[in-house]
Amino acid sequence: MLSIENLVASVDGKTILKGLNLSVKPGEVHAIMGPNGSGKSTTGYVLSGRDGYTVEEGSVTLNGENLLELEPEERAHAGLFLAFQYPVEIPGVSNLEFLKAAVDAKYRAQAKEPMSSAEFLRMAREACKQVNLPAEFLKRGVNEGFSGGEKKRNEILQMLLLKPSLCILDETDSGLDIDALKMVAEGVNSQRSPERSFIVVTHYQRLLDFIKPDYVHVLSDGKIVRSGDASLAHELEAQGYAWLAKAPDQEAVGQERPA
Amino acid sequence: MSEWLQSAIARAETMDDWLAPQRRESLALLREAPWPSRKVEAWRYTPLTALERADLSTAVVDTTAPDAQQIAGVDSIDLVIRNGRFENPMKELPAGLRITSLQSADDGARERVKDLFGTVKPTRHIFGLVNDVLASDGLLIEIDAAAVIEKPLRIVHLVSKGADVHTRVLVSVGEGAQAAVIEQVQGEHASFNTSFAEYAIGSGAKLEHYRFALQTGEAMGVGGSHFKLDDRAELNSTIVGFGSNLSRLDTDIIHDGENAQAKLNAIYLLQQNELFDLHATVEHAVPHGTTEENVRGIVADQARAVFNGRIHIHRHAQKTVAELNNRNLLLSRKATVFTKPELEIYADDVKCAHGATVAEIDKKALYYLQSRGISRAQAQIMLNFGFINELVDQMPNEGLAEWLRPQLRERFASMASSEEFAPVSSEAGEQ
Ligand SMILES: Nc1ncnc2c1ncn2[C@@H]1O[C@H](COP(=O)(O)OP(=O)(O)O)[C@@H](O)[C@H]1O
Ligand SMILES: [Mg+2]
Repeated sequence: MLSIENLVASVDGKTILKGLNLSVKPGEVHAIMGPNGSGKSTTGYVLSGRDGYTVEEGSVTLNGENLLELEPEERAHAGLFLAFQYPVEIPGVSNLEFLKAAVDAKYRAQAKEPMSSAEFLRMAREACKQVNLPAEFLKRGVNEGFSGGEKKRNEILQMLLLKPSLCILDETDSGLDIDALKMVAEGVNSQRSPERSFIVVTHYQRLLDFIKPDYVHVLSDGKIVRSGDASLAHELEAQGYAWLAKAPDQEAVGQERPA
Repeated sequence: MSEWLQSAIARAETMDDWLAPQRRESLALLREAPWPSRKVEAWRYTPLTALERADLSTAVVDTTAPDAQQIAGVDSIDLVIRNGRFENPMKELPAGLRITSLQSADDGARERVKDLFGTVKPTRHIFGLVNDVLASDGLLIEIDAAAVIEKPLRIVHLVSKGADVHTRVLVSVGEGAQAAVIEQVQGEHASFNTSFAEYAIGSGAKLEHYRFALQTGEAMGVGGSHFKLDDRAELNSTIVGFGSNLSRLDTDIIHDGENAQAKLNAIYLLQQNELFDLHATVEHAVPHGTTEENVRGIVADQARAVFNGRIHIHRHAQKTVAELNNRNLLLSRKATVFTKPELEIYADDVKCAHGATVAEIDKKALYYLQSRGISRAQAQIMLNFGFINELVDQMPNEGLAEWLRPQLRERFASMASSEEFAPVSSEAGEQ
């Protein structure tokens, strides 16, 4: 599904990703953890094609397509979805208009007839219920005046409507109370399928209690320095990242899988 | 003096009705007034050639003009002024509301008209003076103290081909009263209309106001909405302008009592060779007033927008809070905007900000939309329309916003699809 090889990327002339390797197979859930500033968000931005993020080396393929050659919207059409750590507010553009435009664009890319407005509204209301966001939020400007938690719910709402094949959730759990956290987890779990994969960026073990990852990776200074199964997250929760300072470089295991 | 003004004065001299004493002073001022040219600051960027060339004196007025369309979803009290004549049979009005046509005012109403006529509108507006001397009819709208008028009053000016008409609206909102007034001007064929409105808003009263200057094409319109705010009065006004051969609007907001609040949002969407000119002046004459003014426009093709926003804070107007912002989006290299936001501050304890910019698309928002599969081109259109729609969203009357939105969307779509379309982010022409 997703294959990242030796990805080196910079922003404003500063190299942030320094040889990232990761491979995600269909249906898998990977958690990425790691200290602040290690390049977790940058990874999502580079994959989604944000302006100003320059790929210096390496390759990324999604479902066999060279992702790095595509425009951001084409990457979305290829099945990529990034739930942002800090979703942007767009006053004046209604949430409903935005969601419909996104779903229409996906249908167009697949050469399918767009949904009728009524049909879409029904689907959007249904999705609102699922993420526990009152349907009034469809009328408001995109994320306009939403609380932190509401913004995160809105991200999950978009994921539910767009049905991407690879979802990257960037700290979607940060700042959420336990109920909201469960809602995010349920949203993700409801979408888990043999065809769909997830990369879950988080600082907290507690999210991973609800979304059971197949693999856990530790990103540090732009590289994956350790990979393991779900138990690694428990270990990190207990130990923190102090050990990273002493970790010799060759211990980095990149995309290698635990036995 | 221009021929146009000469003939207007000649026409005014023949007006022989009960308003004559009210007109006299304006007539004298008009005789002395310099005809606006490029040298007159208030008209520097708005040529009157279209008006000078249009000879409407012999035009046959098309009396089969379409009716005022109802606004679906807005249950309003409609007051139709067709080609200068108020024509509604007076229906039953809610308690606390009185409406009188100027032509049929009785002695009592005439006295009350005199108390308002020309007392809010400054005399510096030359077409305001023209309106003083030529207004053939109009309305006196009176809202009693403490009355809450639930239904908005909608004044529709219908201007037919060939018409040259002048009408006046006078509104008094009593102490603690609440009301909404919509002024709507429509027309597209060769015609000229001046419509000026004066509002005296009593202490603690709340007025929701809309002015839709939607004349297009050869329909020329010059008008004004002028407000005087007493203590704690609240004004929330939204102006929407399309452009035509000549479309000019002056608005004055005068803080006459302390602790009054004014919010003014204005939108213009211009295409082809259209011209729209908005001059907005806010006078803070007393302390503790607040003004929030947001003006946004999109200009396409060879169209021209003129915005002059002046906030004048007098020496005694301490603790004034005032903000003025004008943002413009140019969709073509030949589109122009002349913008001049001015803060004139003579008090020392005030909070004020102002600015004018050529809006740029928010890159983060663009990326966000693209990351959801929306093409860059479509995302740009969505954000550009959103820039205008943000102010539509702020309109207190949701039904009215829902009526307006598709019209703006349609106009914007034709602007964005024009061959000239090439969003630019160059500097606006500064006055
Ligand atoms: N525009 C930028 N210019 C320079 N450095 C940046 C820029 N954006 C992010 N960085 C740096 O990149 C590093 C990684 O950031 P980020 O990917 O947000 O980390 P994480 O999400 O793991 O906390 C940080 O050191 C951050 O300061
Ligand atoms: Mg981050």
